[in-house]
Amino acid sequence: MILLLPLAVTILGAGFVLCFRNPRIATRVALTVGGLEVASLGAVVWRVHAHGALQAGRYLRADGLSSLFLINIAFISALVLVYASGYLRHMGEGRFSSPRWFYALVFLFLFTMISVCLSANLGLLWIMMEGTTLASALLVGFYNTEGAVEAGWKYLMVCTVGIAFALFGTIVLYLAAVKAGMNPAAALDWAALMNAVPQMGFDPNLVKLAFVFIIVGYGTKIGFVPMHSWLPDAHAEAPTPISALLSAVLLNCAMYALIRYDAIISHTTTSAFAHTLLLVFGLLSMIVAGLLILVQRNLKRLMAYSSVEHMGIIAIGLGLGGPLGLFGALLHIFNHSVAKSLLFFSAGNIRQNFGTLRMDGVTGMARTLPQTSTALVVGSLAIVGLPPFSLFVSEFAILSEAFSQAHYVLAVLFLVVLSVVFGGFAYHFIRLLCGEPNGVPANSKLIPSEYTVMGIASVTLLCFGAHIPHMFTIILQEAMAVLR
Amino acid sequence: MGLVEIATGKVLSSFSVFLFLTILLLVVARRISTAILLFSAQSAIITAEVLATGFRERLAEAYVVGALVFLIKVVLIPRAFFRLVDRLKTPRDVKASTTPTQSVFIAAAMIYLSYAAVHSYGQSVRVPEDALAAAVALILTGAFLMVSRNKALMQMLGLLVLENGIYLAALTTTYGMPLVIEIGIFFDILIGLLLMGIFTFRIRDTFDHLDVSKLRRLRG
Repeated sequence: MILLLPLAVTILGAGFVLCFRNPRIATRVALTVGGLEVASLGAVVWRVHAHGALQAGRYLRADGLSSLFLINIAFISALVLVYASGYLRHMGEGRFSSPRWFYALVFLFLFTMISVCLSANLGLLWIMMEGTTLASALLVGFYNTEGAVEAGWKYLMVCTVGIAFALFGTIVLYLAAVKAGMNPAAALDWAALMNAVPQMGFDPNLVKLAFVFIIVGYGTKIGFVPMHSWLPDAHAEAPTPISALLSAVLLNCAMYALIRYDAIISHTTTSAFAHTLLLVFGLLSMIVAGLLILVQRNLKRLMAYSSVEHMGIIAIGLGLGGPLGLFGALLHIFNHSVAKSLLFFSAGNIRQNFGTLRMDGVTGMARTLPQTSTALVVGSLAIVGLPPFSLFVSEFAILSEAFSQAHYVLAVLFLVVLSVVFGGFAYHFIRLLCGEPNGVPANSKLIPSEYTVMGIASVTLLCFGAHIPHMFTIILQEAMAVLR
Repeated sequence: MGLVEIATGKVLSSFSVFLFLTILLLVVARRISTAILLFSAQSAIITAEVLATGFRERLAEAYVVGALVFLIKVVLIPRAFFRLVDRLKTPRDVKASTTPTQSVFIAAAMIYLSYAAVHSYGQSVRVPEDALAAAVALILTGAFLMVSRNKALMQMLGLLVLENGIYLAALTTTYGMPLVIEIGIFFDILIGLLLMGIFTFRIRDTFDHLDVSKLRRLRG
């Protein structure tokens, strides 16, 4: 029953926060609900760690893999809520665009994402995945400007079509299960499927067809090239706390859905086919996003393409498989989330101080905004994968796996893209930071909520780079055990 | 053999032909209201198919699902669409980027393609080839409407046609998903349409038109 707790907290919290018109009180209520949400997720993770997989009714289940993603949701959502409390301080009361609506939609969004990770049924998982699109579409269009409305519409249409293909994939897998003689009531349950697939001889053609539709469908939400067209628009036009949530939590939730299917078919002959598809999509996303990073003019679009690139890296880790590949991919999910949130928080400060995100509109930031610049530098050094930050560890693990499996072409391309991205980030950020300051920032000092979250994110990146905490290693191993 | 059995047999054997008819009419429809009516008719055919399948396979759940499909797709959604068209006060043409002749040829090619695509799978899963081909053709038509019609409302309609296709594929191959899941999917569709409705108002208010092909501020 403990699995119901985080779901109840978020959905009731969403309704509760709507009752408070005063922005100040609404913010406090939201922070309290957020605290409860993190505590309840912590309780779930602890119980899974202590007692193994948990089950509540026929539709909810959590195992080691869910735990890892729940930790990611808890950590990032806490950072985002604290950051938003400062970010929204100037926002007034408007129809659908006041802090209370913002927080209510955020909790609804979190509810759908937590449900994705707790679903025991692939149909429910699909319903909740579509729910994430619906809950976040209004958040993407929150500012109601021309750009925001366009981005929101595009997001809604592209992701709904993409996710419709995932439904088709789900149905095909269900068909394969029923044809192989599974009980229709259990044929959508991922635990039952994981047991049945190796034994019952599913029609390999149907399983392949299902996986193609699943990777295209959920891949749209992950942001794989060429289905990524919604991603830079939505990230750039959404309020900054939402950009961080989209990039650090939503993309990973979609990745979670894909990993579940990968786990189901990992014991069949189809798994080689699935892994090849993952490698192809991963490499394509890395290369295209890496090149597009070079030509970006808007800071948040730059970061959005960097997310596409990192999703590609994770897909390559999963596609390679093997102990190091899986370890790297799962660790990279968390590392990328932390680094990308830090970068988005810095971008939010730049926007609030200079009123623009165009990178040619800002120079000499190192002198006018020293604290934000520090966070930006830490974040970008981490995201390009330099030691001593944690992304180096996970990228290195994936690369070692590629070499040990003799995928030399892949490994070389991987390295080339990483260097190109490094060059791109250095080129853009040196122009942003150095030179004569233009324009006076509105408020050069960070407020407590901002430096707290930026500090926590930076310290986490450094700590995980130097030494992964024992507790986290155990959870990673429990997650990897699901995929073996 | 009773009348009901005969009717069931007729529905199951011939509904794909009527679905192909709605596809061909949909791609040449010039007014949004015609397209909405065609969608409604298409959903009615699918309702008949759900009920017939339920009768033949003796599935009590199917009658609930049939009632839901009828209520949501034949009555509620078309009515909501008509209200949206009224309230938005937008010109009523679909703004096609292909001529009707081209559209018919493309639709015919898509139907042919669907038969070619399901041919190998039809035998392995033992379902009527026509039904599966109709489902795939609906999916393709929905996608085609979404990319070739510039009105926001027509894109929403294209999405619904695509969804009808996926639903039909599920129905013909597995007699539908478990009931709880079906209800969840319907719920998602309704909320999705509600949100798209909100966005159409926002597009009209910010841009003064509903031509989504002109929304191209965000590039690169």
